[in-house]
Amino acid sequence: MNSSTVIGRLAERREYGVLGLLLLAVLVVTAVNPTFLAAGNVRNVLVQCAPAAIVACGLTLVIVTREIDISVGSLMGLLAAVMGILTSPQRAGMPVAVGIALTLVLGAAVGFLNGVLVVFGRVPSIIVTLGMLTALRGLTEVLMGGEWITDLPPALRFFGTGTMLEIPVSLWVAAVVIVCSMALARKTRLGLRIYAVGGNPAAARLAGLSIRRTKLFVFTLTGFLTAVATVVGVTQLSVIESEIGVGFELLVVTCVVVGGTSISGGTGTIVGSLLGVLLLGTVRTFLIFLRLGEMSTYWERAIQGAFILAAVLLDHVARRRERAEP
Amino acid sequence: MSKMEGTILSDEQHAFGEFKYWHEAVLAALLVALLLTAGLADPAFLSARVQTELSTHVWELALLALPMTLIIITGGIDLSVGAMMALCAVVLGLSYEAGISPWVGAVFALLTGIAAGAINGMFVVWVRVHPLIVTLATLAAYRGMAEGISLTRPISGFPESFAVVGRGHVAGVPIPGAIFAAAALWAAIVLGRTAFGRSVYAIGNNEAAAYFSGVAVSRIKLWLYAMSGAAAGLAAVLFVARRNTAKADIGAGMELDVITAVVLGGTSIFGGRGRIVGTLLGVLLIHETREFVSWRWDKDELNLIVIGALLIVSVLLNSIFLRRETE
Repeated sequence: MNSSTVIGRLAERREYGVLGLLLLAVLVVTAVNPTFLAAGNVRNVLVQCAPAAIVACGLTLVIVTREIDISVGSLMGLLAAVMGILTSPQRAGMPVAVGIALTLVLGAAVGFLNGVLVVFGRVPSIIVTLGMLTALRGLTEVLMGGEWITDLPPALRFFGTGTMLEIPVSLWVAAVVIVCSMALARKTRLGLRIYAVGGNPAAARLAGLSIRRTKLFVFTLTGFLTAVATVVGVTQLSVIESEIGVGFELLVVTCVVVGGTSISGGTGTIVGSLLGVLLLGTVRTFLIFLRLGEMSTYWERAIQGAFILAAVLLDHVARRRERAEP
Repeated sequence: MSKMEGTILSDEQHAFGEFKYWHEAVLAALLVALLLTAGLADPAFLSARVQTELSTHVWELALLALPMTLIIITGGIDLSVGAMMALCAVVLGLSYEAGISPWVGAVFALLTGIAAGAINGMFVVWVRVHPLIVTLATLAAYRGMAEGISLTRPISGFPESFAVVGRGHVAGVPIPGAIFAAAALWAAIVLGRTAFGRSVYAIGNNEAAAYFSGVAVSRIKLWLYAMSGAAAGLAAVLFVARRNTAKADIGAGMELDVITAVVLGGTSIFGGRGRIVGTLLGVLLIHETREFVSWRWDKDELNLIVIGALLIVSVLLNSIFLRRETE
């Protein structure tokens, strides 16, 4: 083991575990349907995973600081509606660049609002984001007025469906986000602060670290990344409607928790969350391949829930074994 | 020991003089203000006929709010109540379809609820996972199960004899209302007058201290989550009886209403304080707000915004006043 701390060793072990599960899942799916490993299919799975991967980078850091954000799905819905309304020629008809810029700003602003309520309002993040989850969904429905937006300009759809050098734009964007997030988490003082605040808030405060600014940052970042995910994810569809993003927060939280980030804060890596995203993406494809039809969507949610429970059970067992050496 | 006794009452005693029910008084005033505004905007809303009709919607919410109050007092939370309700409803519907009497089906539904709640409790107590994560997971798991085993088909056609549970009256009082009144009374007595209730407050105030004082923390918590499941089962039975339909999307978003009602009612999300009376007022406020918004603007989306904002604002205000009292 490379790490000298218990937490470090656990984290390492956990990531290998998720990687193992992922490989197992890929093997099973390929056995059932060999076309899974075809290049085109792999690319499709990765493109579908991109939005979750992008948001997971931010959400991992939020959970590391001992907070949570379950409003990302509703925020995505709202941002999708806003993006559609701004760029659709039948409505505001703004240039795509302006529409995207405004969407990014709005995402960051909502994330910032969440942070303000948590940090300054001292409202627990579960309450803030639970309220936001509902209020934003309602706002989205009011904005959409029960209609669909179907005339998205091609320049906008490029982000979801276009390619650069044969690789989909969404994967480029995801890669950039992932690399930057990993660098942030491991190499910068801000990253260190994030883990310190989550690992031992009292010590962090005594050491003079600004817990408030750190938490404000991670919430704003998550809002911003949700906007990024909206731009590359929602544009894969040809229709924008008010149900977009429902259940997305559960998916991302599942990926993060399964990937080894502990709800009690202080530990968790972006790599782990990414493995979690890939694992869940593979499971979803598996369900589709089983040709269950509609059933796959019903059981998908149940499976996500079961995954979280299994992940925390595993954590518990691992921790007990660690504690067995007094 | 005296510290524990003190904490139950001292907050209210030191702030604003000796009156213990300030929060409830403010709530009552808000409720009156809301009803007055509603009445001014549309007098028909306040008529007895309309109010009794609308009251049929509230019993499930009210029932679920009772165990939720106790759970939140212990510092926990249960996000899965809506999903548990759906699962129980589906069990009831499917067993009726299989030819089993709806009364027996109702018992099955109740048992399902207790089991589902107990699973929540076991993960919280034995696996030591934060109730937030557990119930977030079971929220998905139970909802998914309900959808999966029912294939999202609605099941209806329940006999009149069964529907009377949801729609009937006894001595002028709606049956679900009577059931709720009994449950509320029981909950209030347990919370306010028994050792069990004192233990609940103790756990919320300082779980470690409670544990070392001999409070059966694990058993109590397990029981509370199982009770929440039982309430979900009961609510499911009432709902299916009233609406004559069992479907997997029942209770979607219910957890938000319940938690908002409880928190609005003065129960601190951090645990350690809260009263059934407050919860009742919170339920009434949520109910009247919802019904008025639906009545006046006929748009469910507005309700989402209002209730979501209400949740955040109520905890915000709570946290501001809490700070003032403890400083």
